[in-house]
Amino acid sequence: MKKIIAMLLVLSMALALAACGGSAAPAATEAPKADAPAATSAPAAPAADGKVTVTMIAAQYGPKTGDWWVDFEQKFEAANDGIDLVVDCVSWNDIYTVVNTRIANGQAPDLLNIDVFADYQADGLLLPAEDWCSAETYAKFYQAFLDQSVVDGVVWAVPDLASARAMYYNKDILAEAGVEVPTTWEELTAACKTIKEKCPDIYPWGIDMTTDEGQAAFAYYTWGNGGGFVDDNGEWILNCAENVAAVEYAVGLVKDGLTNSDPANNTRYDLQDLFCAGKLAMMIAPNALSAQAGEAGVNYGFAAIPNNSGTSVSAGVMDRIMCFDNGQSAEQMAAITAVVDAFYDDEPYSEWVLMEGFLPATSAGGEACAAADPAMGAWIDIVGSAKFYPTAKAEWADVKQGVIDVEQQALLGEDVQTLLDNLQAEIAG
Amino acid sequence: MDSRYINWKKAILRVLLYFVVINVCLVILYPYFVMVCTALKSRSEIFAMEGTILPIKAMWSNFVDIWYRAPMAKYMLNSIIIASGSTAIAMVCGIPAAYALARMKFKGQTAFLGFIIVSQMFAPVVLLIGIYKVMQIMSLTNSLLGLIFINAAFNQAFTIWLLRGTFMSISAEMEQAATIDGCNRVQAMFKILLPVAAPGIVTTLIFIFINAWNEFTVALCLISTDTIKPLTVGINIFNGYNMIEWQYLFAASIFAIIPVVILFMSIEKNLTSGLTAGGVKG
Amino acid sequence: MKQHKPYNLLNKAEPYLWILPSVILMAIFIIVPIGFVFRMAFSQVTKAGLVKGFCGFANFSKVLQGAKFGMVLKNTIIWTILVVVLSTVLGFILALLLNNEFKGRKIARAIVVFPWATTLVIQASVWKFIINTDYGALNTLLKSLGIIQQNVNWTPTPEAFFGWEIACGIFVTIPFVCFTALSGLQSIDASYYEAATVDGASYFQKLWNITLPLVKPSLTVATVLNIIYVFNSFPIVWTITKGDPASRTDTLVTYLYKLAFYNGKQGEAAAVSVIGFLILLVCASVYMVSTLKKGDE
Repeated sequence: MKKIIAMLLVLSMALALAACGGSAAPAATEAPKADAPAATSAPAAPAADGKVTVTMIAAQYGPKTGDWWVDFEQKFEAANDGIDLVVDCVSWNDIYTVVNTRIANGQAPDLLNIDVFADYQADGLLLPAEDWCSAETYAKFYQAFLDQSVVDGVVWAVPDLASARAMYYNKDILAEAGVEVPTTWEELTAACKTIKEKCPDIYPWGIDMTTDEGQAAFAYYTWGNGGGFVDDNGEWILNCAENVAAVEYAVGLVKDGLTNSDPANNTRYDLQDLFCAGKLAMMIAPNALSAQAGEAGVNYGFAAIPNNSGTSVSAGVMDRIMCFDNGQSAEQMAAITAVVDAFYDDEPYSEWVLMEGFLPATSAGGEACAAADPAMGAWIDIVGSAKFYPTAKAEWADVKQGVIDVEQQALLGEDVQTLLDNLQAEIAG
Repeated sequence: MDSRYINWKKAILRVLLYFVVINVCLVILYPYFVMVCTALKSRSEIFAMEGTILPIKAMWSNFVDIWYRAPMAKYMLNSIIIASGSTAIAMVCGIPAAYALARMKFKGQTAFLGFIIVSQMFAPVVLLIGIYKVMQIMSLTNSLLGLIFINAAFNQAFTIWLLRGTFMSISAEMEQAATIDGCNRVQAMFKILLPVAAPGIVTTLIFIFINAWNEFTVALCLISTDTIKPLTVGINIFNGYNMIEWQYLFAASIFAIIPVVILFMSIEKNLTSGLTAGGVKG
Repeated sequence: MKQHKPYNLLNKAEPYLWILPSVILMAIFIIVPIGFVFRMAFSQVTKAGLVKGFCGFANFSKVLQGAKFGMVLKNTIIWTILVVVLSTVLGFILALLLNNEFKGRKIARAIVVFPWATTLVIQASVWKFIINTDYGALNTLLKSLGIIQQNVNWTPTPEAFFGWEIACGIFVTIPFVCFTALSGLQSIDASYYEAATVDGASYFQKLWNITLPLVKPSLTVATVLNIIYVFNSFPIVWTITKGDPASRTDTLVTYLYKLAFYNGKQGEAAAVSVIGFLILLVCASVYMVSTLKKGDE
C-alpha cells in the first residue's frame, strides 16, 4: 500500500509539474497573443513589444480555412512589420456562442467575419464600413451586395463572399424516369411522382426544414410564389396568401412521400450526401455542391429553382466582414485598414474564394474566378439576380426561428394559415 | 441426486451469465465497431447506395491522414495537460476539504455539503459568459491554465463527496494514536490516512480525469489559438461548413479514447475497491 | 475541559482552513459565474449581449408565457426521470453481473468503461449515424442479417427521436452507475450472505434485505449528482435533433441555448436556467433533508 501511495504522490507531482510546465510553455510562446485582449481593452496603448495588434474572428468555411488564415497571418506580418494580426478561426456550429460570449464581456474582436450584422449595429458596436475600408477596396464590391448591409443609409459591413442557390438534378435519374427538368411547381410535382413510380428506391425531391437552415426552404417557396419575408416597403408580410400557399405546397410534397424521409431533421448536408450517393434526384443547393457531386462521380446539372409565379428567383446568401468599435487609436485603424486591403487584394482573395467554393463579392474577384472556372460565370450571373434574406432588419433572428418553427409544426399537421398569422402578429405586433 | 441437481443449476446459471455479459459487451461495443468501420471507409463508400458493414477497401490511410490534416499530437498533449492538471488541483483542494468534513465537527458543515451540490446545478453552457468574465479579469482566457482551474472547480463536488465517504469509512483510531505520538493532523493525514485511502483517491483521480478529458463547452469558448486546443474542440475541424468528414472525425475520436482506456485498465483494480470505501458508511 | 483561549480559537478556525482552498476554487470559478446568470436573468439584455439595466421579472414572465415552455419542461422531466431511473436499474443489474467471478471479467469491466471514456458529442454523433434511415449502420446490419429487406425509418415521429435520445442518454450513463454500485457490492462482507444462506434465504431475499441496503448510500450520492448532470445534459439532444421538430425534442438546456445564441434573447435564456436551478434545488433539498441528516448521525 505504501508503494502505491508513494507512486501516486510521484505521479501527481509529475502531473502537477506537467500542468505547470505545459501551461507555462504556451504562455511564453504565445506571449504576444495573450497580450491581445489587453491591447483591445486599453486601446491607446500598443502591445508590449511595440506592435499594433489586430484581432479577428473568422468563420471556418471548410477544412482548409484555418490553414489559409495561418498562412495569411504569416505573410501579412512579414509584409507589415509592426502589426500583429491574430486570427481566430471558429466553426459555424460554434461561432455565435463564441462571438456573443466575447461581446458580452467587452472583448469584441476588431474584425469579424460572420453572416449577420444588424444586432451588433443596433447596439452601436460597429464602425461604418467607410471608416475602416480604404476607398480603393470599397470600390471593388458589387453595389447590390453592399446594399444588403445598409441601415439608416450607412453601410456597416462589407461582403466577404456569397453563394447562390439553384436546383441541382441527377441527369441519370431524370433520364431513367423519362422526365424533363421541371421549371414550374406543376412540372415539379409531376416529375416527382413519375420518379417515385419508376425508381422506388430514389427520393425525388430534397427538402430541409431543420433548425440549421429551414429559413432557406421558406425563401425558396415563398419567393417562387410571389411572396416572401417583406414587401417592397420592407414591412413584414409573413402571413400573406402567397406564403401560406407556398408552405402548404412544400409540406404537401412531404405528405405525398415525394421527398426525403424527415425534412425536420435532414439537414442540407444530409441531402447533399444523399444526392452525391445517387439516392436523391433533385434538390436546391449552393454552387459548392458542384465540386462535391463531381468528386462523387454524379452526372449532375443545375437549373433555375422551379416557381409558381412565372419568375424564378434565386436565393442568395452573403457573409460579411465588419469592424467593431473598440475605441481604436488612429494607428490601430490604419492597421485594420491594412488587413482588409490585404485580404481583398485580388490574387489572394480570388484564391481564397475558389478554395472555399463560394462566389466572390468583388468584381475583380468575379473576373478572376470566371476565368479560372467557366461554370463560375453562370453562377456569378445567378447571384447577380438573387434575392437576399432581410438580415438588416432587427427582427430577423426571430423571423428566422419563427418560420422554421412554422414549417416544422406544419409538418406535424398544424394549420399553416393559423401558424403564419400567429407569427406575423408576434413579429409585427 | 440433489447435488447433481445443484451442479446442473450452477452450470446453467454460469452459461446464462456468460450469455448475458457477452451480449451486453456486444451492445456496448457496437457503436465503436461502427466507428472503426466508418473510419476505415472512404467518403463515397460511407454514403454508398448498398452499404456494407465492413469497409470494402480498408483505408488505413485515414488514420494516418488526420495527423497531417490537424495538429492531433498537439491537441492530445493539450488534453493530457488539462486533464492531469485539473486532476492535480482538484485533489489538492478536495482532499483537505473532504478530510475536514469527515474528521471534524464544525458549524456550517451541512451547509457546505449543500453548497457543493448547489454549485453543480447550472449547466456549463449557461455559465459561459460569467466564466469568460472571470477568466478575463484573471488574464486566463486562451490559456490552458484557465481550463485547468475550471475543470478542477467543476469536479470539486464529486471529489469531496467521494473522498468524504472514503475517509469516513476508515477508522479514525490510528490517526488519533499517531497524534498522541506527536504527529500533527497534517502529518497524521499524510502518513496514516492517505495510504489507507489510496484506492479511493485513485478512484477520484480517474473520475476527474475522464470528466476533464471530455469537457467541451468551456474549452470551446475560452481557447482561440489552434495550438492550445484540447482534442474535443480540435477535432471539430473535421466538422466543416459544407460536410462532416465522418471518417476523419471517427478516426480521431478513436485515438481520443485510447489514453483514457489505458489509464483505466492500469488502475482498474484500485477503482473498484476504492469506490467501495466510499460506499460503506454513508 | 479547560483550555487556553487562543488555542480554542485556533481549534475552532481549523476546519475552515481545511476547506478554504476548495471554497475559493469553487467561489471564483463557479459561484461568480452563477452570479452573472442571476444578473442577466433580471436584466434587459440586447441581442448582441450587452446588459442594459434591471428589468425585474420581465424575462421570467416572457419565458413562462412562451407557448413552448410547458412542453419543454415536460420533456425535460421525462428525459431526466427515464434516463436516471433506467440507467440506475440497468447499471445496478450490470454491476451484479460483473460482481461474479468469471473468466474475462477484467476485459468486460474495461469494455463497460468505453461509453464513459468517449466525449458525448462524438457518442451522440455515432448514434445519429447508426439510426439514420438512409445510410445508417443499423439498417445495414439488419439487412445483411436478413432481418429486414428495406431500409427502416427508425425515427418516424418526434417521440421516436426522443426515445432514441433517451436510449443514448441511458447508454452513456450506465458505466457511471455501474462502477459506483460495483464498489458498494465489493465492500459487502461475504459472511452476511453465508448467514442468510444458512437461514434458507432465496437469492432475491438476499438481494432485497442485504445487498440493496448496503449499496444504497453510495448509490444515493451518485444518483443525486446524476439527476443534476442529466437534467443539464446538452450534447446528446443538441447533436441528434437540436430539439427539432418544433421543440418536440427540446429539453430546457437546448431550449435556452437556442434562445440565447439563435434568437439573441440572453436575458430570457438566463431566466430559463434560473427556473431549472430552482427545480433542481427543490429536488435536492428533499434529498438532503431525508438522506443527509440520517447519514450524518
